[in-house]
Amino acid sequence: MEQRTVPERAASATAEAPPRMSRPRACLATGTAAGLADHLGWPVWIVRAAFVVTSLVSGAGLLLYLWLWTLTPWQEGEEKPTRSAPVAWILIVASTVCLIVAWATPGRVVESGGEGLIAWLGLVAAGVALAVGAGAWATLVDRPDPERGPRAELAIRTVATLLLAVTALALVLGPTASWYPVPTFVAAFAALVGIGLVYLPTLLAQWRELSDERTKRIREEQRSEIAAHLHDSVLQTLALIQNRAGATSEVARIARAQERELRDWLFAGDTPADSDLGTDLRDFGAALEIDHAVTVDVVVVGEIRERASGELAAAAREAMLNAARHAGGEVSVYVESSHEAVEVFVRDRGPGFSLAEVPGDRLGVRESIIGRMRRAGGSGSVAPGAGGVGTEVRLRFPAERVNGEAGRG
Amino acid sequence: MAERVRVVVVDDHSIFRSGLKADLDDTIEVVGEAHDVESAVARVTDAAPDVVLLDVHLPGVAVPAGTSGGAEVIRRAANAVPGTKFLALSVSDKAEDVVGVIRAGARGYITKGSSGADVSRAVHAVAGGDAVFSPKLAGFVLDAFGAAVGETAQASDELDRLSAREQEVMRLIARGYAYKEVAAELFISTKTVETHVSAVLRKLQLSSRHELTAWANARRLL
Repeated sequence: MEQRTVPERAASATAEAPPRMSRPRACLATGTAAGLADHLGWPVWIVRAAFVVTSLVSGAGLLLYLWLWTLTPWQEGEEKPTRSAPVAWILIVASTVCLIVAWATPGRVVESGGEGLIAWLGLVAAGVALAVGAGAWATLVDRPDPERGPRAELAIRTVATLLLAVTALALVLGPTASWYPVPTFVAAFAALVGIGLVYLPTLLAQWRELSDERTKRIREEQRSEIAAHLHDSVLQTLALIQNRAGATSEVARIARAQERELRDWLFAGDTPADSDLGTDLRDFGAALEIDHAVTVDVVVVGEIRERASGELAAAAREAMLNAARHAGGEVSVYVESSHEAVEVFVRDRGPGFSLAEVPGDRLGVRESIIGRMRRAGGSGSVAPGAGGVGTEVRLRFPAERVNGEAGRG
Repeated sequence: MAERVRVVVVDDHSIFRSGLKADLDDTIEVVGEAHDVESAVARVTDAAPDVVLLDVHLPGVAVPAGTSGGAEVIRRAANAVPGTKFLALSVSDKAEDVVGVIRAGARGYITKGSSGADVSRAVHAVAGGDAVFSPKLAGFVLDAFGAAVGETAQASDELDRLSAREQEVMRLIARGYAYKEVAAELFISTKTVETHVSAVLRKLQLSSRHELTAWANARRLL
């Protein structure tokens, strides 16, 4: 646990910036002694002994220790600090010893009179304080420690609570309660307050969480209020513009794009953020509407597991682009995901074309849609739309292919 | 389609109302306009039109949290004028904006972006007793009734699932097919397609299917 990195750092540091004292991240309890030893170049046990000895002089060493602990930063590094000593358990044991001694000595308190009583109360107070300290240590220090965590915290707290509860009970039911009622009840009350203090850090954390939650809710409410207002005003107006300007005119397209953007912003919470096939095709359709005289209606049915990066998505985008470029007008895109397959239909109402009429050297549709689907293990076809109007591209991707790809990805 | 259809237009934006009036073809006669829930109920009960073109979002009444002004108009007026059909107009394509109104009794919906000719056609369809489904609504129906995961109604009176034929019809509508194109694709008459669509509309209105209600509750629609 002794880390000799400081001299090396000192060598590399410039002369006017002396090496700063820091605590090693893997330490015994707090790393203060090890850090100081490193800084001074002393063996760590001498530093520890010095702390203990000077603590006997009315606690000077202890104060120095606490002061250094508070002000010394951790060594630079990524990993969370770990401590090898079970400090919380040591505190618990110390607390238990204090309380047991206090519990075993009421007789002598009576014999030795007033001074003994103060010492006895001090013992109880020390026991309670140590138990509270154990709880606080477990919550504030052990919990973030990857090697201890919430389970250790729970164990410490349970023991501390039991200890304090038993103490309070023993005080109230014990003989001192009749000999010195007021001090005894004060001590019992202190033990009960101690139980509260053990849980105080968590309560504080929960309180903070609660107020965060409330702030979030207020913001959410405000947002939906704004959304409702805009829905009744701006979106209506944009719809009206589209309606009056004719579906494929420039103005209508801009209005539609604006409407879509505003809607996305207003109702951002409604759609999943990750890009699946449906979301991707919807976005692509929106982009096409800006560049081409076309309105793209995307309908998605079923739970889409297919990812936007797959071959199916690429082929579907190609088909949509073709429809927007060569047909225009209204384009319907339908995506359905069932147990057996994912299917995409892209339908336009343009002049239409038949695959047989496309010369062999024009590879657009053949290669980028049908060939791509076949190579990926699916199938694709291009046919005249219903009633011979326009074109419909059908893409089908078997479900096991989709799952296989998802498994690999 | 020769006979004139009498229509009341309900929308809180006067510009939209006048625009829509100008756009509708001459087989449609606008016999009244209204701008909020109260005036709409009054106009509709007065005029007893064939069709009410009804905006989903209407101001003017403290609607119980979640339900829309449009649905409220249907609830209040429908009993007084049993012959009147309601066609919802929505600014958005979102099925969730619309299903509440459909479940209140509307015979279908169209988006406000639709052209005058489209609206006119939809008005005639609704006046003739048919339901008007957009691709989005068809997609929602397929999802809500579990068609994508292979749920199919076994009996014809089942409300919570779609029959195989109804699923086929809905799929084609979702793919952007018009009714007569659906009919040609499935080798059935347009009338039969309309019957299937009406049956689906009825299921959408009456089904207590978990997804529908859970979904509607989540958005506090019902």
